[in-house]
Amino acid sequence: MTLTDIRFSPGEFLAPVVDWLNANMHGLFVAISRVVEAVLGFVESALLAPHPYVLIGIVVVAAYFVAQVRVAIFAGLMLAFCLFSGLWVASMQTIALVAVAVLISVAIAFPLGVLAARVKRVDDAFLPILNIMQTVPPWVYLIPAVMLFSLGRVPAIIATIVYGIPPMLRLTTLAFKQLPKDLLELGQASGASPRDILFKIELPTAAPTLLVGLNQCILMSLAMVVLAGLVGAGGLGAEVTRGLSRMEMGLGLRAGLAIVAVALLLDRLSRGALQRHSPSKLV
Amino acid sequence: MNTPDFSEPFDAAIDSGLEWLSENGEFVFDTLNTGLSGIYKAVLWCIAFPPYYVIALIIGLIGWRVIGSRFAILAGLALGLCALIGLWPETVSTLALVITATVLALVVAIPLGVLAGLAPAFDRVVDPCLDLVQTMPPYIYLLPAIALLGYGPATALLATFIVAVPPALRLTSLGIRMTPREFIELGDASGVTGWQMFFKIRLPFAMPSIMAGVNQSLMMAFGMVVIAGIVGSGGLGESIYGAVRTLDIAKSINAAIAIVILTMILDRLAQAAARSRVGEGQ
Repeated sequence: MTLTDIRFSPGEFLAPVVDWLNANMHGLFVAISRVVEAVLGFVESALLAPHPYVLIGIVVVAAYFVAQVRVAIFAGLMLAFCLFSGLWVASMQTIALVAVAVLISVAIAFPLGVLAARVKRVDDAFLPILNIMQTVPPWVYLIPAVMLFSLGRVPAIIATIVYGIPPMLRLTTLAFKQLPKDLLELGQASGASPRDILFKIELPTAAPTLLVGLNQCILMSLAMVVLAGLVGAGGLGAEVTRGLSRMEMGLGLRAGLAIVAVALLLDRLSRGALQRHSPSKLV
Repeated sequence: MNTPDFSEPFDAAIDSGLEWLSENGEFVFDTLNTGLSGIYKAVLWCIAFPPYYVIALIIGLIGWRVIGSRFAILAGLALGLCALIGLWPETVSTLALVITATVLALVVAIPLGVLAGLAPAFDRVVDPCLDLVQTMPPYIYLLPAIALLGYGPATALLATFIVAVPPALRLTSLGIRMTPREFIELGDASGVTGWQMFFKIRLPFAMPSIMAGVNQSLMMAFGMVVIAGIVGSGGLGESIYGAVRTLDIAKSINAAIAIVILTMILDRLAQAAARSRVGEGQ
């Protein structure tokens, strides 16, 4: 059996590369880590600074204005569940991670999506990459992040950002490709500047599809953040992992339900905003 | 924080509830556990018995039939690479888990989807449930599974099953509902029986949608099986989990490569199969 004795391990070749990166680019990774930690710390302390009741009140009022009464009541109930299940801090950590990750994902994906909608060649180049990115299981995203940033919140958020980009990019491209030609021509004919066309015609028309992309981006980011609890990202994912590894099913289930509450909260809020923006109920 | 919380009574209630369940439902869960791991072992035995090059050859042949010679050669070589890396046993058990869970999920999802497509009342009940299942992060399905079945492949199968059912069910019901009106009326007018209406008119129209559902279920199942490595399902998920935990860079890269290879092959095969079915259906 000589065939089974042959071994080839690409990892053995790549590991020194990673080591070299870690040794020589250490400063860069530390700098990225510092920035990410600082932003996260800021969002987290902003969420945890007011008394939970105050924060729930603010969210309910905001939800009422962004969406409608039903969504507002629902959001209040979900947050109250997080509070009364004794997982307020963990829930806020999770929400902070998702918020920062989604913001950065959107900031990267939106311009790229607009570019892909305008330039056909860029779109063709993105398509196979996006296909691969959306097929690969989420776990795989954590590996390079963990290798470069070791354990903690930073690799978690980087993996989450990368994971959240494809749905947003896809739907941004779709939104801008679907724009009715006559509206654009109307803008040009009435002598609007390209800026005006973008902000007054294209964005409002594309808004429903963009919000669908945002909704997907948020939910996928949440799934990733929860999974990242395994690599020490803290938050609700860490509580679930703790419950699983110590066989404390009560804790695990409580954290699981809190995750469901956070997921429903984020989903309903973004969908509520969506329905406001599309009177014809596109979804 | 001095807000009231119900964590202690909740935990106590869950613990005693689980104790009661595992004492009184022991028989049920034991049977479920034995049944699931039995099926898994049978599938695993079928794939793990022949040496790796036979499996690579078979998958290459299937790829050649449904896609083309270039894909076939690439797929065969890529699987060979999995073996060369030294992760063949893990690759095989991952494959066995994915296949078993997807088949079980389809057996449940497709008939239910047909039912939901034909009976709007049933659809209205099922739809919110599916919404809920799909909103939650897949990771948490491991919790009830592990609480009731313990560590092992049966837990992974159960959790993967839950994740893989919704896409197939949804798209089946969508496909059945999308039958064009004219064709239903044509059938009614020419006096077909209920069975003929279903198999000769509705099903062919629903086929593309059903196959898309099968593909999505397969990919969801794959993602979940990898995550399920945490609960001792074995396979690539477990080796990745171990490697990440110990920061063993070489091993985690290897496992990631094997996972990506397997994902791409399964996805391409399922998509191509769906497309060729569509061709037949029209």
